[in-house]
Amino acid sequence: MKYSYMPGCSLLSTARGYDTSARAVVSELGSELIELDDWNCCGANAIESVSYLLSVALPARNLALAEAAERDLVTCCSSCFLNLFKVNHRLNREPELRGKLDEILGAAGLRYTGKSRVRHLLDVIANDIGVDAVANRAERKLTGLKVVPYYGCQTVRPYGEYDGPYLPTSMDRLIEAVGAEAFPYLWKTRCCGGVLMTTEKAIGMKLVSELLAAAQGADCIATVCPMCQMNLDAYQGEISDRLGIRVRIPVLFLTQLLGLAFELPEEVLLLDQNIVPVDNLLRQLQKV
Amino acid sequence: MEKVFNLTRDMLDHTFADLVAPDREKLLTCIQCGTCTASCPTAYAMDYTPRQLWRLVQLGLKGEVLGSNSFWLCTACYACTLRCPRGIACTETMSTLKRMSVAAGTEKLSSSARFYEAFRDTVRRHGRLHEVELMTTFFGRARRIGAVSYTRLGFTLWRKGKVSLDASSVNIKGLDQVEAIYRKVEELEAKP
Repeated sequence: MKYSYMPGCSLLSTARGYDTSARAVVSELGSELIELDDWNCCGANAIESVSYLLSVALPARNLALAEAAERDLVTCCSSCFLNLFKVNHRLNREPELRGKLDEILGAAGLRYTGKSRVRHLLDVIANDIGVDAVANRAERKLTGLKVVPYYGCQTVRPYGEYDGPYLPTSMDRLIEAVGAEAFPYLWKTRCCGGVLMTTEKAIGMKLVSELLAAAQGADCIATVCPMCQMNLDAYQGEISDRLGIRVRIPVLFLTQLLGLAFELPEEVLLLDQNIVPVDNLLRQLQKV
Repeated sequence: MEKVFNLTRDMLDHTFADLVAPDREKLLTCIQCGTCTASCPTAYAMDYTPRQLWRLVQLGLKGEVLGSNSFWLCTACYACTLRCPRGIACTETMSTLKRMSVAAGTEKLSSSARFYEAFRDTVRRHGRLHEVELMTTFFGRARRIGAVSYTRLGFTLWRKGKVSLDASSVNIKGLDQVEAIYRKVEELEAKP
């Protein structure tokens, strides 16, 4: 199956390994992500805090660009996913929004009629491609590896479009499909604090500390959101000091983990770009 | 923390709830069950918990609401929205309060407001987000101490090949379209 694909801004920089591994994994599974030409920033959580109309119009430009291709629009980033998805939801909910959006996009020579279907990559892999196809492709089973399935908030909330909004299971099933163990983790959709790590660091640190403390005993964490990955990966030194225990747990994008089971090369997995080193994890896998 | 309000004084703005909520009717039906507060990961640090905030909005205590830090600590995780037995759009309401607070010039956590504005301006310039430009703009405007630890992180990310220093590298072709969108939104939002 072919999909239009919007990587999102983070996947061009801090989450580059998510982009390259996602394209490779999907291609290995017989589908294709075709990058949407000239996509723009979806606005993340920031734009709705300064302008409601802009928070609709920015993602709507991408939906307008995607509409002609008549393929589902897939994104890996939970924030992009929610912002794009919300446009369709809001157009249905607020009849007066349609006219305003037409006027705004019209000023840019664009028009969106509401037909682009928005999907998260996790949904595509778990539900279109399917757990069986992933299991079949996993040449190297990740036996014995305990993986925390950390979904974060916005991939499943508020709409719960493809999985449960509090205790989703799609990532758990994919982790088990490649032979690893989904670590029992009640906080799989508890917020990582998002941008608070930058604007109100003490609060961000508390939230991430709690998430990492609850992950003790697991071998790594799998995420499907660039913001979650950054927050969980980048501050473990400071968090160790704070908790008084040594926290050093690799935080992988789900597609990096699947890529390990598919024996994809480092050039597409880019595990070396993760901040907490994955050396121990790879050593553990070699023993299997 | 116990706080006493004198509701007989003229500090109540009964039009406030109309402006705040995307669905006023629902907000007015809040039964103060506290499910939102219990679901909120940052309620512990708020001046008023989400439950308390909705009551203040209902009562029209506009100054108390807009001058609080509560909505600035909302991360848009949507746990409250999903669980509210009245179906109140709690998260969206928090965003509305952020916009109203900046418009009223009462933002208590100005760091968050400056961050969102820096984000908006960076995307306007390039069509996409350039993280280094966002952070330097933000730290410049917010005059934040503590920028040092982020500079260290930035260096690590750069060394890992995760960030480029050249903001124009993220420019899209349709920058004129993005500019047209920003201008039209400004025009529509300037209308009363």
